Amino acid sequence: MDFGDFLLKNLRQFWELTGFANAEWGNIIMLLVGLFFIWLAIKKNFEPMLLVPIGFGILIGNIPFNTEAGLEIGIYEEGSVLNILYNGVSAGWYPPLIFLGIGAMTDFSALIANPKLMLIGAAAQFGIFGAYMVALAIGFAPDQAGAIAIIGGADGPTAIFLSSKLAPNLMGAIAVSAYSYMALVPVIQPPLMRLFTTKKERLIKMKPARAVRQNEKIIFPIVGMLLTCFVVPSGIPLLGMLFFGNLLRECGVTTRLAKTASNALTDIVTILLGMTVGASTQASQFLTPSTIFIFFLGFMAFIIASSSGVLFVKLFNLVLPKDKKINPLIGNAGVSAVPMSARISNNIGLEYDPSNYLLMHAMGPNVAGVIGSAVAAGVLLGFLA
Amino acid sequence: MIKRLFMMLALVVAAGLALSAQSRGALRINEVMVQNTDQGFTDEYGKHSAWIELFNSNFGPIEISSIYLTNDSTRPKLYPVPMGDVNTKIPKRQHVVFFADGEPNKGTFHTNFELTPGQDNWIGIYDADGLTLIDEVVIPASVLPGQSWARTEDGQGQWALRTGGNDDYITPSSANIIKDTNHKIEDFAERDANGFGMTVMAMCIVFSALLVLCLSFYGIGKINSIISRRNKAVAHGNEAPELAEIRQTQHDTGEEIAAIAMALRDHLEAHDAESTILTLKKIRRAYSPWSSKIYGLRELPHR
Repeated sequence: MDFGDFLLKNLRQFWELTGFANAEWGNIIMLLVGLFFIWLAIKKNFEPMLLVPIGFGILIGNIPFNTEAGLEIGIYEEGSVLNILYNGVSAGWYPPLIFLGIGAMTDFSALIANPKLMLIGAAAQFGIFGAYMVALAIGFAPDQAGAIAIIGGADGPTAIFLSSKLAPNLMGAIAVSAYSYMALVPVIQPPLMRLFTTKKERLIKMKPARAVRQNEKIIFPIVGMLLTCFVVPSGIPLLGMLFFGNLLRECGVTTRLAKTASNALTDIVTILLGMTVGASTQASQFLTPSTIFIFFLGFMAFIIASSSGVLFVKLFNLVLPKDKKINPLIGNAGVSAVPMSARISNNIGLEYDPSNYLLMHAMGPNVAGVIGSAVAAGVLLGFLA
Repeated sequence: MIKRLFMMLALVVAAGLALSAQSRGALRINEVMVQNTDQGFTDEYGKHSAWIELFNSNFGPIEISSIYLTNDSTRPKLYPVPMGDVNTKIPKRQHVVFFADGEPNKGTFHTNFELTPGQDNWIGIYDADGLTLIDEVVIPASVLPGQSWARTEDGQGQWALRTGGNDDYITPSSANIIKDTNHKIEDFAERDANGFGMTVMAMCIVFSALLVLCLSFYGIGKINSIISRRNKAVAHGNEAPELAEIRQTQHDTGEEIAAIAMALRDHLEAHDAESTILTLKKIRRAYSPWSSKIYGLRELPHR
């Protein structure tokens, strides 16, 4: 072999390792999806904190390479850097850390002042189980149906946590679907809210809730954790961390910890979670017929959840005294998607009456939705794991 | 100083509790064969000795070095499991087999005692202190060669004879029940094919959990308002009587104060008679801090 052949042979080997030589249509499609997510985040400002990491993760995860070369670079190759980072998703420990942050940044005052709003958060969970029934009808097994249906909880960490336990093979599609629909909440929910409410109902003004004393705020996470976890012990990782974070915030003596949990820690975990979830959508794993069904079911789940929240408020108003009626526009906030769905309630309310601020009222069902979806995930885990 | 000592004590107690929670108490004798046959399980030397299977019923690993295995209740420290062998760490829900061949020099998993065919064999495992009995079992003399005495389920359930037939496998170093399907999933698929049952059950649980929380916080809110009213009453009770009287008779509605002020002005700055009608109207501020951004999500309380 002369020197020219030697060079050619090595260049050919190098070419075989490049993305150009290994590219397939699937990779190209997923790269376009990733670029679309980044465009949505930057140009349209749709949940940029989520869609930028996920979108870029999709790009990282779909760079084609020779999987047989043993380079240990793919997210599914044991020991690779991405695989180590992905462990937080596959083993399910990123979601509880996110819940710690959510607890540390959430003020439960609206819920404590008006506890009946918790029931709206419970009603909206019907989206999960409605989607579960549809998933079964399509032909998914009960555990897969449960994992897909949790998208209706509109809670990304919960969806990742549950799917990592019930259907790890569908986790990438479920996570991307959940986050995509959460980003699309401003598009999906308003038409449903208008459809199911009358103009008169949209104008209902709710009384400002009473002031909540600090000791009530401190008792809430302790009692909340004990009660909900006693009912659904399988929800401990999520509910335990949620209420723990809230106690750090409210007790007044751990301000530094609460700030770290709600800012630095949440940001770090969000970056890692979003990026690795995006990277897990390798075309070979992601572009399957089930993914299409999962996206369809996720959409159904969101519609059912938002509608059932609004309809439940209308039903609830039938038994409430006239001066204590609830504006059904806050019903959509029963799906988690904190605080996006509460902001939508507020915006739609202001459209019809510029002095009708619904934001803090909507925060009640909104945070109840977080608790409700974690409880629902615990129930599914208890029944199906 | 006392505070620090108390904290140290609390930490020691907590650490002790945590350690005991993860102790070897979850170790179980799971299956035993007293008379192994030529077709049976072999050790690493190809021999067919009696064997004892232990099971870690925990969902975390257990280190079993320095525990004791014995077949004599009067000698609980008969066979100490040697230290320094990585294989003595049993992963969660996994098994380990000891060969009761009386040849401990062959390795960690060969005991210094043997089991005796044709009579009842008592086997016990003791913790490192040699006093705490972790688990014990008596293998009846009626167990024949090639048969094992095993728990019906790993780490729990009754003991039963296993003959090695199709329905009662002998399973050294593996689960006593071979699960090839998830029965829970199968049950749901078969009995609740449309998901209605799951929906009803799950929604009831979700509603109950949040309803309990809701009722609790109604209760806590009520108690708080009672305490708050009582505290106010006590605080007012400590006031001087004349101050309390003034507070009780004070009616500081804006209209009355405005009327008094106008009357005083009229009285002090005398005018000609005028026919103007003065209307007093209270102006309400539409702004409420309820909707203010400063009370938004990220505001942290300070003590």
